[in-house]
Amino acid sequence: MAVAVEMLNISKFYPGVVASDNVSLSVNEGEILGLIGENGAGKSTMMNMLYGMTEPDLGEIRLFGNQVRIQSPDTAIKHGIGMVHQHFMLMPNLSVLQNIILGKTPTKSGLIDIRKAKAQIEEIMETYNLPVDLDMKIYQLSVGEKQRVEIIKALYREAKILIMDEPTAVLTPQETDKLLGVLRKLKEQGCAIIFITHKLREVMAITDKIVVMRKGVVTGTLPTSEADTDTLSGLMVGRKVNLDIPRADYAPGETVLEVKDLHANNQRGLPALNGVSFSVSKGEIVGIAGVEGNGQTELIETVSGMLNPTGGHVFLSGKDVTKESVRQRREEGMSHIPEDRLGMGTAVNCSIRDNLILNRYYQKPYCSKGILNNRKLHNLSEELCVDFGVKTPDSTYRLGTLSGGNMQKVVFAREMEADPEFLIAAQPTRGVDIGAIEAIYHKIIEVRDSGRGILLVSAELDEILTLADRILVMYEGEIVAEFRRGEADERTIGIYMTGAKRQGGESHEA
Amino acid sequence: MKLNENSKILAAASIVLKQIGLILIALLFATILLAVSGYDPFAIVRGIGRSLTSDIAGTVRWATPLILAGLAICVTYKAEVFNLGVDGQIYMGAAAATAVAMALPATMNHGISVTLVFIAAMLAGAAFAMIPALMKVYLGTDEIVSTLLLNFVAALYIEYLVTGPLRDPNEAMNMNASPIISENTWLPRLAVFSPSSANIGIFMAIIIMILLTFMFYRTSFGHEIKIVGSNPVLARYSGMKPKKTVLQVMAISGAIGGIIGAIEVTAVQHRLLPGFNPDFGFDGIVVSLLANNNPIGVFFSGIFFGALKNGGINMERITDVPSAMTEIVTATIFIVICAKFVLPKIKKRIKDKKSAEEGGK
Repeated sequence: MAVAVEMLNISKFYPGVVASDNVSLSVNEGEILGLIGENGAGKSTMMNMLYGMTEPDLGEIRLFGNQVRIQSPDTAIKHGIGMVHQHFMLMPNLSVLQNIILGKTPTKSGLIDIRKAKAQIEEIMETYNLPVDLDMKIYQLSVGEKQRVEIIKALYREAKILIMDEPTAVLTPQETDKLLGVLRKLKEQGCAIIFITHKLREVMAITDKIVVMRKGVVTGTLPTSEADTDTLSGLMVGRKVNLDIPRADYAPGETVLEVKDLHANNQRGLPALNGVSFSVSKGEIVGIAGVEGNGQTELIETVSGMLNPTGGHVFLSGKDVTKESVRQRREEGMSHIPEDRLGMGTAVNCSIRDNLILNRYYQKPYCSKGILNNRKLHNLSEELCVDFGVKTPDSTYRLGTLSGGNMQKVVFAREMEADPEFLIAAQPTRGVDIGAIEAIYHKIIEVRDSGRGILLVSAELDEILTLADRILVMYEGEIVAEFRRGEADERTIGIYMTGAKRQGGESHEA
Repeated sequence: MKLNENSKILAAASIVLKQIGLILIALLFATILLAVSGYDPFAIVRGIGRSLTSDIAGTVRWATPLILAGLAICVTYKAEVFNLGVDGQIYMGAAAATAVAMALPATMNHGISVTLVFIAAMLAGAAFAMIPALMKVYLGTDEIVSTLLLNFVAALYIEYLVTGPLRDPNEAMNMNASPIISENTWLPRLAVFSPSSANIGIFMAIIIMILLTFMFYRTSFGHEIKIVGSNPVLARYSGMKPKKTVLQVMAISGAIGGIIGAIEVTAVQHRLLPGFNPDFGFDGIVVSLLANNNPIGVFFSGIFFGALKNGGINMERITDVPSAMTEIVTATIFIVICAKFVLPKIKKRIKDKKSAEEGGK
């Protein structure tokens, strides 16, 4: 098979950072290349250069043997490159058909030739087994279907080279299986595919060849047949990573959080929680699994006191706190690691110290009669930086100067310093690299073993399976299943996540 | 540690230099404009020079309301609230000051009556600022629009007062204004600067500047303002009450506006005139922006704009250059600063709004 893409000795420099340093990779027609690495390893930079979002400072790009200069995504598309972004680039209020033909519209005497467009698209859908209703509006589609639309869009523009940027991050296990099937089909048809991910299992399952990047350089290029997950994670992180963390025996103590028949509306005033009841005991991690947008956010906000429920009760250590403010709940032993670290958990333009003292700045001995004791606050934040390994010269630096993993450490430090009885951990490892994930898992287990209750909400099923003692599955604002640790595997939980089945009730056929 | 402190001093110095650079650009632009229009090109520069040497009195007179207006703006700006209604709050403060001054017996102790007049003005300014603040907090109204529009309400209300309830009953005085208030309610002028109307309001401005600096950097309330200003969601999540903070900063800002109104009535005009306020509130925005919203910086930037305003008035008196030329300097500074500070903030607001909408889907 002919070589489709060659990126040779590519370097890209940003002020103070080498985003990619002399990186080479190539993909043949009918081949799937897995491009893996931690966040900030330089994967996206490489793909942005291939897709024309930015140009390399050194090195050359060859497509089908010819050297090319790709100055814009437009040029990239003309050369037959298609990219499926992690965040979909679709117009929610237009139909599937309109979205697909946007930018390449067949016309007949000045008018859009819908029939021709439909015929072309239907042929693509048939060939690659990508069924979507063309007349539906984008906002009516599920995440998996939206992704299919993106793929069809790329193929409709005659893409011979397809870049998939973390395509499985938002999918359920079942949807992932379907996607992998589609990719195999595309491969048979001679498409060259670059598959970016950090999920090693998928890389092993689908790719022909793997390029591992770390800190802007290639740390390994090897055929998939010769790779195993241990070697790959070693190449990615630079050392051996062990996410199999030893933990104390499961011995739940008294109940620390209890939620009874909780109802709440989302921002748009529509019901998001429809009678949720569960409890968390001391020394236990309760994991909430579910596709995002099934009420997890509202659950966290009602429990933490940011959102008023429309019905039901929240009890903290036996006391009804439903009517209490966020601050009262925090003072009574609740801590919260929010899912949106930048949007909710930190103020990037304030100093690290300003971020660390949020639970303490108004309390004695850090403050008396409204006047801050800056020396005590400074000592507190310096200590926390050391204890939690925040990498910074000192805590007066702007929070925005830290990496994602270090920001998460700041949030952790602040929330753990309050010595909580009960901790909400929402997407605690989102956007942090594997090395930091390992540290965060250790910390969470440590918190559990020290006899505190944890409510873990995560979109990563792996994370729930690794950490949780009990797993609750949420679907459309209800808890549809509950499992003990080790009782269910990814596949079983996936079925409940899509709402195809529920425990204790009748099963819906999807 | 030492190194870090040094670098911080350097950073602060570079900010100050940049702001001075802005002033120079604006002055250069005005000089060119004067030359092109056939006036004496150095009229403005000379006017400012005079303001800072032989005519300090006039500069102090104008700097007082400008510094206070700058402080009123920077309080809300720190919490990312935009109070464009300082002018309205000045009018309301002036109205309350006049009404109370007219009601107090002329035999009352001087100190007590002035204090009462100022308290009334502060309450009136704060209360008037509560209207847009409550609308923002409970109805989600954009305060930029509501504060701006309420300025017109206040200005027209003053016109109503001086043509009706507060009008000078002396028929011989055929003028739409209140009667002269009794002397025991006058805020003392500074004897050194006699006969200028420069008054002890400048000390009030300095005291308020010091109080605000302390409040911002050394109190828990200041920390709340900072967090609410940089990320209101974080504030809510960590147990603060951002709505309350917004109301508080608006009340402080309105009270400072009220003080400006009271100073203008009790020290400068000694009566309520409908057009006494030459948009101090709007100039306050530029004063605060040039100072990077730092209260200590506001003091110096207020002095500069006071000198500019005073220089313009002198210039008009001596030469034939219209004082409007100084407004071109102000406007130029405003535009250059806007491009640097305000545009990114507005962009961020729009982005936040967009992502909030997307998040709702």
